[in-house]
Amino acid sequence: MKVSPKTSGIGLRLAHLSEMVATRPRCSWLEIHPENFLANPHAKELLVELSSDYPMSLHTVGISVGTASGIDEVHLRNIREMAKTIDPLFISGHLAWSSYQNEYLNDLLPMPYNEETLEIVVGHVHRVQEMLSRPYLLENPASYVAFRSSTISETEFLAEIAARTGCQLLCDVSNIVVSAHNLGYDARGYVDDLPPDKIGEIHLGGYTAEEDEATPGAEVLIDTHAAPIARPAWDLYAYALRRFGPKPTLIEWDNDMPRLSTLLGEVVRSDEIQAEICHAAAL
Amino acid sequence: MQRLSEIQARFRDAIVHGETSGISDALIGGCHPEKRLAIHQRNYEVSLTGALLTKFPAIQWLLGTRFLTEVARRFIRECAPRVPCIAEYGSDFPDFIGQCASQLPYVRDFARLEWFVGKAAIAVDQPAVDLNAFSQIESLLDTFVTMQTSVEYLHTRWPIDELMTTYLTDEAPDQFEMTPTDVWIEIRGARGEFQWCRLEEEEFIFRQSLWQGSSIGDAAERALDTNARFDPGRALPSVLNAGLVTALRQTNEEQSDGNR
Repeated sequence: MKVSPKTSGIGLRLAHLSEMVATRPRCSWLEIHPENFLANPHAKELLVELSSDYPMSLHTVGISVGTASGIDEVHLRNIREMAKTIDPLFISGHLAWSSYQNEYLNDLLPMPYNEETLEIVVGHVHRVQEMLSRPYLLENPASYVAFRSSTISETEFLAEIAARTGCQLLCDVSNIVVSAHNLGYDARGYVDDLPPDKIGEIHLGGYTAEEDEATPGAEVLIDTHAAPIARPAWDLYAYALRRFGPKPTLIEWDNDMPRLSTLLGEVVRSDEIQAEICHAAAL
Repeated sequence: MQRLSEIQARFRDAIVHGETSGISDALIGGCHPEKRLAIHQRNYEVSLTGALLTKFPAIQWLLGTRFLTEVARRFIRECAPRVPCIAEYGSDFPDFIGQCASQLPYVRDFARLEWFVGKAAIAVDQPAVDLNAFSQIESLLDTFVTMQTSVEYLHTRWPIDELMTTYLTDEAPDQFEMTPTDVWIEIRGARGEFQWCRLEEEEFIFRQSLWQGSSIGDAAERALDTNARFDPGRALPSVLNAGLVTALRQTNEEQSDGNR
């Protein structure tokens, strides 16, 4: 079961699960956070039922590859068991850390990009791939702060992890817009610096602007997944497609959930952009 | 240069406890990057307090949103999640609520009932075995049972089940008197449904003992210790007819807290 690289899917959240099961709307593929289903047997049962009609991807938020104190082997095994049931297209996660010792901080947190962190993340990605017996996809983060002690750019860091582990990259276009705005770099330059042959998937999600307490009079962009995809993200998406070629694209919406039809409307737009770019490339 | 483990320890303290002094100098982002830590602090606080309030709507109804939100904020600072699945976060919250609202001695058990009901509603029940399954059993008294994963048992000294019914039926009387009385409650559910019922003490002891991993013989003995008139010959079929048992075992290898 393979996804056409020209089609878009949606992030399936619990709020839409019953409607998806009941109505089975047209949608190329679905992506879920396994952490939302592992401890919810009823939702998991419905998910397994849906997986016979929709290709699925597992996008983890609890495999903390950036944690210095090690990754949670029990959770990793649970993901592996779920993958055996769902047979996902992809299993992905974030270049971030979310656990500290035995605590889960329920957020995707930044880390310095240097040799020490690189060694730790590479080791953890190796372990994840060994356990899951498949390549992992690693997503670029949405950042609000960075570290003075970083000695490697984020794109170099991602490329090096991909080169050392064989993992692929999940390019979250909206995260690039958010981070580029917040940390003051060029979003298109970031896309240019990513290795095209390593990009396995693209994400698009909504973000929210608010007053930046760190810089009076300025705005900071927050990766809320609580709004329609903004114009700068659509524009960067088109730019990324021209550089990377057609890629499976996923529309994320996690908070202030809209109607399912609204989410599917974003899929139509994403597919139209991808089709336009493919058409232009073919001319 | 700080090691990653040290950076993460300080970042964690900034997020959970608001202690930013250990990490602020390490950051860049805007003119005052340490102020952007508030974004991560807010993510932590809002997502977790929101998750707790969603799981305890009856407690929110009883104590008020403002009070419970403040209790939840204190809880997440003192008891960060230990599990990656936030659906599992909050099992200790009833005890914490009980400490914070100690003037209402029934609140802890009311919150525990709500937690169990929430768990039962997302459970999936398995096909139950019936009395015929015992035809192949050599020694009934030495047999162990596996029970539905949704089942929970709660002994309380307050009529919290009546209070929960009042909440769920949205028919709050002008006055609801909480008179101390021993109540033994069995909670179960599956696929969005849930129910609870009161049991006699000896029946509760019997079923809870089975659920905790005792053999049928040991569970019956405990029930008889509670009430010499307990009738195992009636109680066991009652458990089976209720669809609570999913398997019979000749060993207690699967024994654990409630078969889990």
